[in-house]
Amino acid sequence: MAYQDYTHDMQRCTRCSYCKWIPYRYIKSTDFMEGCPSLARYNWHAYSASGKFNMAYSLLKDRIEIDETFLDVLYHCHMDGSCDVSCKMQQDLEPLQLMQELRIKCVEEGQLLPVHMLVIEGLRKEDNMMQALKADRGKWAEGLDVKDLAKESAEVVYHAGCRYSYDEELRPIARAGLTLLRDVGVDIGIMGTDEACCGGRAYELGYAGELTKYAEHQIESLRTAGVKVLVTPCADCYAAFKVLYDKIGKKPEIEIFHITQYIHRLIEEGKIRFTREVPLTVTYHDPCHLGRLGEPWIHWQGKETKAMGPMIIHDPPKKFRRGANGVYETPRDILKAIPGLRFIEMYRIKEYAWCCGAGGGVIDAHPDFALWTGTERLREAHAVGAEAIVSACGWCKRNFLDAAAESGDNIEVYDIIELVQKAM
Amino acid sequence: MKLAEEEYKALQKIVGSEYITREPVILDTYNQVWGNTFFFDEKHSVRPAAVLLPANTAEISEIVKVCNKYGILFKPFSSGFEYLSLSLANARGILLDLKRMNRILEIDAKNMRAVVEPYVSVYRLQMEAAKYGLYTGRIGVGYSAGVIATECCHHGCQHTMVFTSGYGRNILGVEWVLPTGEILNMGSGESGADRFSADGPGFSLRGILRGRTGANGGHGVVTKASVKLYPWYGPAQWEQTKKPGEPPSFGQLQKVPDGYKVFVPSFADLDTTLEASEDLCRAEILCAFGIGIIGTYQIQEGNDEEWAVMQKMMQKTAQSFDPAGGISVTNSVVCVIGGRSPGELEYKEKCLRAITEKWGSDFSEQFNEPRALARAFADIMWSNGVNLRATGDFLPSSSSPDGSPAMLKNLALKEGEVKKRYEESGVFLSMGGGRMVSWRPEEHLSIGAQGISTAQYDPYDPASLAAAREFIDELFDPRSPFNRYGVPSRGGCLQIEPVTHIHQNWGPLYDNYDVYLRKIKKMLDPNTVADWTAYIPPEYPDYAKDGDYVLPSYGKDEDI
Repeated sequence: MAYQDYTHDMQRCTRCSYCKWIPYRYIKSTDFMEGCPSLARYNWHAYSASGKFNMAYSLLKDRIEIDETFLDVLYHCHMDGSCDVSCKMQQDLEPLQLMQELRIKCVEEGQLLPVHMLVIEGLRKEDNMMQALKADRGKWAEGLDVKDLAKESAEVVYHAGCRYSYDEELRPIARAGLTLLRDVGVDIGIMGTDEACCGGRAYELGYAGELTKYAEHQIESLRTAGVKVLVTPCADCYAAFKVLYDKIGKKPEIEIFHITQYIHRLIEEGKIRFTREVPLTVTYHDPCHLGRLGEPWIHWQGKETKAMGPMIIHDPPKKFRRGANGVYETPRDILKAIPGLRFIEMYRIKEYAWCCGAGGGVIDAHPDFALWTGTERLREAHAVGAEAIVSACGWCKRNFLDAAAESGDNIEVYDIIELVQKAM
Repeated sequence: MKLAEEEYKALQKIVGSEYITREPVILDTYNQVWGNTFFFDEKHSVRPAAVLLPANTAEISEIVKVCNKYGILFKPFSSGFEYLSLSLANARGILLDLKRMNRILEIDAKNMRAVVEPYVSVYRLQMEAAKYGLYTGRIGVGYSAGVIATECCHHGCQHTMVFTSGYGRNILGVEWVLPTGEILNMGSGESGADRFSADGPGFSLRGILRGRTGANGGHGVVTKASVKLYPWYGPAQWEQTKKPGEPPSFGQLQKVPDGYKVFVPSFADLDTTLEASEDLCRAEILCAFGIGIIGTYQIQEGNDEEWAVMQKMMQKTAQSFDPAGGISVTNSVVCVIGGRSPGELEYKEKCLRAITEKWGSDFSEQFNEPRALARAFADIMWSNGVNLRATGDFLPSSSSPDGSPAMLKNLALKEGEVKKRYEESGVFLSMGGGRMVSWRPEEHLSIGAQGISTAQYDPYDPASLAAAREFIDELFDPRSPFNRYGVPSRGGCLQIEPVTHIHQNWGPLYDNYDVYLRKIKKMLDPNTVADWTAYIPPEYPDYAKDGDYVLPSYGKDEDI
């Protein structure tokens, strides 16, 4: 697909502006009704999904060109997909896919953000998005008694992901996730230094070639390792393996699990039991990539046709990804099963959750905006009376920690693995 | 046509560089709205010379003064969701995006009114007012419409008008930046008191402010408005939910909120439906009322799913597309009643049942099961959003506020005959061809009703678009038989004077009302800086006035 393939969508955007808010019928607090961080922070219509449709259509019509403003607007966006859910309450349009294609076009034309160029340069050289050394990739697991899949075989591979592997504050979480699975008898191993980036975040920056490259690499590595299951604590990696690889026709032939799904399964099998109380009032932040962006890809090929006169339908019928089939209940079930833990919901949840702020390359290129978005989420957590905010993604935790530090907020920030570990 | 550096700097000085833009990338997101293709033959209307995000009344006043000094056209807007909300008469125009003016300033529960800024949406005010047992009516464009746009500036109507009225009758005092830049406090606001009345002790300019279809920015900027609120009989908060895995659009109330009841009676034929409807409305028991607009139906997540359901219905019933599956939607009505006490609710239900019994209604299970009624309640009281998904656009064809039920019936049926030609040729959406009349009563029908019927067409299908224009030309021709039904405001949506020449063509037929409109415009806006495209110019430009569109000359003079 190219951005021109969404001409229908550009034309049909009515400027209803529903993309700016969470779906109206789910608004519970008028203080927390906005869905698009970009629009909420920068105000101009261009920053909304509707504005991106407009920009794309003007570009298509040669009314504008890709300039500094175009890039500024396009990349002040978390690519979190909230707009996509709200738009699809009323429409059969694809705002998020159009934004993705615009980014790919920018990269193809050499219209790049310098900061992202550095990140991608690091990726190409060291196979990670953290501008760190490949040689340090396995440091997070040093000292752990765990299978190295370069030398041994196992049924399950634990893919830590770039953030958990290199962020020293988050490394203990990656270790905890791995050890708790190992300790309950899962036949699990790691790739160690050979683990590479999934390519998902590079794709979201517009570097489509990087996704293809890493998808091919991962599939080959997994095949060589002979594993049947991949488990990752990172929501971004989960979405890449589960959704994006399938999207580009490189679906792995193994099962893909986010760690919450695997823990949930182990709880149901009685292999994980919570024995310790965790007396904490907690709210759960849905990572975009585990939630709406974690919805399986739906392939469709066909044509637009008409019924009852000019009603727009498809042949064969086209199923749109509307966010409903992300992973929402599983992490909640885990939290609700922890003794002593009081679980409360925020106002914007599941399909229409507010982003943590780290997505879409914003944390790299526009850290002030990433912090603003994260701070907004912490404000929401406080508003519902939470002592702690828990997520299921290293990127979310990183940005919440930074937002809390920046704003002097003393809210506790957890990864769900940490709470599971406390309860076991 | 760009602004001179001096002009731009003068505007920039007022709002600061962060809140003004002349970047083409951003400007071109302010001239693409839903109805443009119909009017201008392309999605883009005139590109504004700049867009500003003012923060308060003082800034707007200063901006407008600069516009007067340099002869710059301006137009304010809030949500911008409208057929032609962002159109400008020329490229030396600026838009005022009022997003930053977003506060509910007061909810005066005792006096049942709220004071709001322009970007406050109807649903937001409904949610906040409910905490005080109060309510504001909705309009057709849905929950995201601005309260001020709805009440003060634009045509707006919907099924709650039976209870809450509409068309400017809910305006109390307003703060109004006139097209000269002067700040006017209308009514009681002028004395420095609360804005509790539009009619004094200061000047009452309520009729001039908006009139029938609204000045749509042609009279300056309403920066604060006090609006009437009405009783809300339901809870302070509510929740719409869905099952995991269901599409988000399936979220709904699980039952009608306590304090309200909903009934959907069906009648034998159209005439009985309309007669019963008059009785129901005049009984003064309703909080909302709709004919033939059955929100009980579970709208599917997408067009393909909708079409699949329709095909199944076609196989099951001879009624083809009618979601009622045997009972006619067009002969069914939605009635919402509410009460502060069980006794009040019981009394209203008793009245309703007596009327429906008199007219021999049937309460089908399909329309009257609890979840279906809950869906209807949410749709009619708050809106479930405007669905332009089916074909991409619709024409609100007939529209006549304050018409009598009999007149509205005649208009709708006559229009239906014309529309049927286009439906049969496949250029308009065809739902089975039943005789359809829908009107929205105002104030328990004491001052008539607003009628509306819609034709759905595809603006990007050349045959469908051509048919839509032909259809509107036919209805808008002042020499046609439709000239007896009043000026075709068409919901305000199709009243874009440089293209449709409504006032120019129809004024002479109706007491030369346009002469007065133009005099008012000239008096309020001596330098013609408040954009008049969706209102009226002080003098008509020299263009054809035969009822045909002037396409696409309008909007082509911009310097991109």
